[in-house]
Amino acid sequence: MRAGGDQVSSGKFDYLGLALLVLGLALPWLLYPVLATNIVVWALFAVGFNLLLGYTGLLSFGHAMFFGGASYITGIVMLHTHLPMPAALLTGVAFSIGLAYLVGVLSIRTQGIYFAMITLAIAQVIYFAVTVFIGWTGGENGLQAVPRGTFFGLPLENDRVMYYAWLVIAVIAVAFVKRVIHSPFGQVLKAIRENEQRARSLGYNVDHYKLMAFILSAAVSGLAGGMLVVHQHFTVMDNVDWQTSGEVVMMTLLGGMGTVYGPIIGAAFYLLLSDRLAVLVNAPGVVIGLIFILTVLLFRRGIVGEIMGRLDARRARGGQEA
Amino acid sequence: MLESLGGQIFNGLVSGAFYAMLSLGLAIIFGLLRIVNFAHGTMYMLGAFVAYVGAQSLGLNFWVALIASPIVVAIVGIILERLLLCRLYKLDVLYNLLLTFGITLFIEDAMRLKFGMQGSPYVIPGKLEGVVNLGFMIYPTYRVFVIVASLIVCIATWLLIEKTSLGATLRAATENPGLVRAFGINVPALITGVFGFGCALAAFAGVLAAPVNNVAPLMGDDIIIPTFAVVVIGGMGSILGSIVTGFVVGVVVALGAFFYPPISGTLIYILMAFVLLVKPTGLFGSVEGSR
Amino acid sequence: MAGPIAPAQAAGNDQVVIANVGDESGVYSSLDGLGAVVADQMAIDDFGGKVLGKPIKLVHYDHRNDAGLANQETNEAIDRDHATLLVDYTNSATALSGENVAKQKHIVQIVTGGGSDAITNDPKYCNKYTFHYGYDVYALAHGTAATMTKEGGKKWYLITANYAFGQALAKDTVAAVEANGGSVLGNDFVPLGTSDFSSYLLKAQAAKPDVIGLANAGNDTVNAMKQINEFGLKKALKVGVMLLFESDVHALGPDYWAGSTVTIGGYWDLDAKSRAFAERFAKKFHGNMPTWSEFANYSAVLQYLEAVKRAGSADSDAVVKQLVGHKINDAFVHNGYIRPQDNLLIHDMYLAEVLPASQVKQPWAYFKILKTIPGEEAFRPASEVKCHLQ
Repeated sequence: MRAGGDQVSSGKFDYLGLALLVLGLALPWLLYPVLATNIVVWALFAVGFNLLLGYTGLLSFGHAMFFGGASYITGIVMLHTHLPMPAALLTGVAFSIGLAYLVGVLSIRTQGIYFAMITLAIAQVIYFAVTVFIGWTGGENGLQAVPRGTFFGLPLENDRVMYYAWLVIAVIAVAFVKRVIHSPFGQVLKAIRENEQRARSLGYNVDHYKLMAFILSAAVSGLAGGMLVVHQHFTVMDNVDWQTSGEVVMMTLLGGMGTVYGPIIGAAFYLLLSDRLAVLVNAPGVVIGLIFILTVLLFRRGIVGEIMGRLDARRARGGQEA
Repeated sequence: MLESLGGQIFNGLVSGAFYAMLSLGLAIIFGLLRIVNFAHGTMYMLGAFVAYVGAQSLGLNFWVALIASPIVVAIVGIILERLLLCRLYKLDVLYNLLLTFGITLFIEDAMRLKFGMQGSPYVIPGKLEGVVNLGFMIYPTYRVFVIVASLIVCIATWLLIEKTSLGATLRAATENPGLVRAFGINVPALITGVFGFGCALAAFAGVLAAPVNNVAPLMGDDIIIPTFAVVVIGGMGSILGSIVTGFVVGVVVALGAFFYPPISGTLIYILMAFVLLVKPTGLFGSVEGSR
Repeated sequence: MAGPIAPAQAAGNDQVVIANVGDESGVYSSLDGLGAVVADQMAIDDFGGKVLGKPIKLVHYDHRNDAGLANQETNEAIDRDHATLLVDYTNSATALSGENVAKQKHIVQIVTGGGSDAITNDPKYCNKYTFHYGYDVYALAHGTAATMTKEGGKKWYLITANYAFGQALAKDTVAAVEANGGSVLGNDFVPLGTSDFSSYLLKAQAAKPDVIGLANAGNDTVNAMKQINEFGLKKALKVGVMLLFESDVHALGPDYWAGSTVTIGGYWDLDAKSRAFAERFAKKFHGNMPTWSEFANYSAVLQYLEAVKRAGSADSDAVVKQLVGHKINDAFVHNGYIRPQDNLLIHDMYLAEVLPASQVKQPWAYFKILKTIPGEEAFRPASEVKCHLQ
C-alpha cells in the first residue's frame, strides 16, 4: 500500500522537523498538558506503526497488542518491582520485541488482507490474556495507580515536567526511525513495498527484512505504550482492543502514511478532534467516520502527504521556468 | 450428559448459521471485488433494524421482513458501492477496507443517535414460539428454524454460483474480468449486483438474529470480527469453504464454551492462528486466495 | 500554572464549577448518559443556581467508557474549567482512573455510576476526596441473593460476566447464598459482550437450580434475559438479576423481566417527593422517567452544594469535612449518611420485583418494592472494610 512520498530526503534541510520540534516545545503552554502528553505518546505509536504500513506496505490490524501489551508489562514492573522507571519502559519494549518475533514468524509470509487478519486475530488472543490474568492486569478495572517514578533523578509528578521528559524520548525515537528509513535497510524496505517480486529476484531475503521491520515497528509501539502507562498512572483493556489498532491506522492515514512526520500530525489532529468532540457534539462516531471516509476518498496522501505533494508540484513547475 | 451435549451442538449450529450467512456474503464480495467489507456487520445490524422499524411503524410481520429487509439493505449497499467504493477499485485493496471501516463508524453512531444504545426487542413470530421435541431433546422452535433457514439460503446461493450460467459468468469475471468484458458483459454492473447481494445476505442474517438478540446499533461489532476469522479459516473467497467453516466453527466454539466458558470468545482466534500455521491459505483456499 | 495545587485557585474563582464525566454515547448512555447531566442541572436549579453568592456552572464530558479519555477529561475539568466537583463516572474503570486524579489533585469526586467496590474498599484507591454514592456490588449481591435464598431459593446457578465487576458480584453472591443455607451448583464465567447465552442456559437447566443468578450488566443482562424467556426457563425457576436499571426493562419490555428479583438503590416511583422530581425530569428529558442512576446524580450534586454552603467555601478539604458523616435525606436518599471510614454512602436499598406489562400502571413504573433493606444491613459492615480513612 503506497501513498505520499518521501518528502524529506537526507540531503535537504528538514524544515518540517524543525517546525514540529518548536511546536512540540511550546505545546504544553498552548494546550492542556495532559492532552499534550497524550499527543506525544500516540504520535510515537503512529510513527512506529507507519514504519510498517508506510514503509514496508504491511497493514497490521493488531498493533494494539504491542502498544497495550507493553503498557501492561511496564505498569506491572512499576507496581511490583523497585526497578527505575526507564528500566520498566525497556522491559515493555523487550516484551514487544519478543511478541513481535513470535507473531512475525507466524504471519510475515502472508500478505495484504491475510496479514491484517492474522495480526488482528493474534491481538484478540492477547486481549483475552489480559482478561484472564486479572490478578496481574486488574481486568476491566484496569491496571491502576501506577507510579510515575523519576526520570534520571527528575520527579515527574508535575504534568509539564512529565511532558518534556516524554518529548525528549519521543524526539530521540522519531530521529531513530527517520534514520532507519533513510538507511540502506530502509531503502530495501521501500523496494519491497514497491515491488516485492523484484526485490526477491535481486537476491534480498524479503521475509527477513519484513520481519525486522515488524519487530522495529513493534518496539517503537511498545515504547509508546510504556510511556502511556507511566504518564497516565494506569492502563486499561481498551489499549489492547482492536479499536485501538483501528485508531492508529486512522491517525497514520489522516496525517499521511509513508511520510516521516505525517503520523505525528495525524495523531495530534485525531486527539484534538476527539477532545473537542467529547464536549461539543454527541456524535463522535459520525464526525470521525465522516472524516475518515473523506480522507480515504479525497486525501489519500493525508495532511502531510497532500501538502508535500503540492509543494513538490510547485517546485517542479518553478524548476521548469528557471 | 448426552442430551446436554446434543443441546450444545445445536447451539453451535445456530451460531454457525449466522457465521455461515455472514461469511458467505463476505466471501462472495471478496471473490469478485477483492475487498474485505468491514461494513458487513453494519449491514447485518441494518437488516435487523429494518425489520424492527418495519414492525413498529408499518406493522410488517417477520415473514415480510425476511424478504423486505434484505432488499432495502441491498439498495443501501448498492448506493454505497456506486457512490464510494467504486472509486477505489484501481487502488490497493486495503483502501477499501479502511473506507468500509469509516462507513461502519458513521452508520453505527448515526443509528445510536436515532435509536439509542440499548436497542429494542423484536418478538419471536407467533408460529415459531415455544419449544419443539426433537426426539432426543427439547429445543426452542425458533432456533431450529434459524438453522434450517440458513442452510436453505446458503445452499441456494452455492447452487446459484456453481450451477447456473449467471454463476459461471461471475466466476469467470472473478478470474478474468477483461475476458468477460470482451464478451460484452457489463462487469461494473455485475460487481454492483454482487455487492448488493452480499449485503442482502447479511441483512437476512440480521432479521433472523433480531428475535434472538436485542436489536442494537453495536450488534454488528460483536459478530464481524469473529466472522473475519471464519472467512480466514475457510479460505478467503471460497464459497463452499465459508459455509462449511461457518457451521463447523460454530459447533467447535459452542463445545469449547461448554467445557471452559471463559475461552468461548477467543477459541475462534486460536483456531484461526492454528489453521494459518498449518495451511496459510485457509482450509478451502487456493494459493491465489492469499494474494 | 496547572498542577497538583489546583484547589486554592479554584476556590478563588468567581463561580463554582461542577463537572459531569459520564458515558454520553457509549454502551451505558441509555441508563446514565445525558439524563444524568439533566439531573445535575436540575439539582443546581433547585438549589437556586447560586452558592456562596457565586453562580454555579455545569460542564459535562463524554468519556465513552474509555478510561484514558476519562482521565484526560478529569484533568481538564480540574485544570481548565476549575471544577471543584467531579460526578458520575459510569463504569468502574473510568471511575478508578478519575479517582487517581481526584486523589492526586485533591478534588471532590462523587461516583454514582461505577459499581466496583474497589472504589471505596481497596486501599490502593480509596482517599478522602472520593465518595461512592448509590450502590456497590456488595449491596446488590447481598440484597438479592440473601433474600431469595432465605425465601426458599436454596440452589443457585450463576452466569457471570468474566470481568472484575462480574467477578466481584459473583463472589459476594456466592457468599450471601452460602451464608443463608443455600448452595451454588455452578458458576459459568462468560466473556463480557457475549450475545449468545444458550450454552450456559442449557447447562444451568440441566443442573436444575431454584434460581439462575445473572451477575452481569447492561446488554449482557438484556440478551441473557431474552434467551431465558426463549428457552422457557422462567416456568421452572426464578431469576435473580444482580444489576438492573429502568432503562434495561424499558428496552426489552417488562414481560421479559417479569417476576425477577433485583436490588435497587432508589426509585422514582417510591413516594410523593420522588415522583415530583421524576415528573419534572421527564418534562426536560424526552418524557423519560429517571433511572435510579440518574436519580443518584441529582442527589449527589444537591448534597455537594449543601455541603459547600455549610462549609462557606468550595475548598475541597472544607467540603469533605461537611460531607463526611453527614445525615442525608432527600428525594433519592433515605436514612443515609456518608460513612467516615470509607466515604461510602450508607442508605436504604430496596428489594424489588419487576412487574408484568399488565400490572405496569404507567411507562417506566416497572418495579414493585418488596421490602426496604436498611443501610446497615445492605452495605458491607464497617468491620470488613479494608479502607480506614478516619
